[in-house]
Amino acid sequence: MRIEKCWFCSSTIYPGHGIQFVRNDAKIFHFCRSKCHKNFKMKRNPRKVKWTKAYRRLHGKDMTQDSTFEFERKRNRPERYDRNLTENTLKAIKTIDKVRSRREAKHIERRKKGKKAQEMREAVKELEQNISLVKAPSVLKEDPSLTLPKIKVKVSHAQVENQPMEE
Amino acid sequence: MAAGLASKWSLVGRSLLGGLNNNLSSLLGTSNGITCSHSLSLQQRTFIQMRTVLKVVDNSGAKKVMCIQALKGKKGARLGDTIIASVKEAHPNGKVKKGKVVYGVVVRAAMQRGRCDGSEVKFDDNAVVLVDKQGQPIGTRVFGPVPHELRKKKHVKILTLAGHIA
Repeated sequence: MRIEKCWFCSSTIYPGHGIQFVRNDAKIFHFCRSKCHKNFKMKRNPRKVKWTKAYRRLHGKDMTQDSTFEFERKRNRPERYDRNLTENTLKAIKTIDKVRSRREAKHIERRKKGKKAQEMREAVKELEQNISLVKAPSVLKEDPSLTLPKIKVKVSHAQVENQPMEE
Repeated sequence: MAAGLASKWSLVGRSLLGGLNNNLSSLLGTSNGITCSHSLSLQQRTFIQMRTVLKVVDNSGAKKVMCIQALKGKKGARLGDTIIASVKEAHPNGKVKKGKVVYGVVVRAAMQRGRCDGSEVKFDDNAVVLVDKQGQPIGTRVFGPVPHELRKKKHVKILTLAGHIA
């Protein structure tokens, strides 16, 4: 008994599920369900089909390189049965799985939020430097109230700095 | 006896029609607004029955055989079963000549066969290995992958000759 990976979507195939297709060149394709099987028959490339792991890894949506993936490499060398080894492996599988899912969630979180702080910093910089594009600097000098109010969040120390500059 | 034969024919006819119906219904169901290539791939694969042409994958001399009887199985033969076939196409100098009636073991079937662990296997085409009445293969080589269902059916010789066991 072996837990395979679906050739199309890379999900795990537990015993009792799915279809194995053997091509005449003796390459075996495992599919987890008929959805993947039908997509294969349609000759779709999994790297182009949005919901597959292949696509997500290729486009950087999911984690690609991590030390936890090393544990799941297919090894064709049979291990001699050792009760302690089996017990430890089973425990390890659980913890590795937890670690991996935590790291994957972190990766996705990082991907989703990333840009806000950087955008904020860029906006502040733009305001400081390019305000002359909006209003002529001579006008600003005359009437300091015409200047746009500084953004309050996190840059309050910069406000104090800029007052002498405006003069 | 005529009635018996008639009932047999009607059964065969029904299974053929059933196969055809399956094809038609799947084609009709899918061809609504979908391209040609899509409907082609949703074929319903069925048993190997009378008139099924199979590829021969050993070096016995035959190239194509047509099944004339599936031993065991009312609806037809599946992966691992034996059939009686007539040689339709053969290599010019081979052990088997065209028109000969031979026994064969189905080693690849496009119809999926359930395995004891619950999964299903299917191959790309229908292929046979010619055997004699005792079940020993006539040829000395087997090409392509073969399933290990043959071990249960006691076709160990074919397994030893095979290059690849699926």
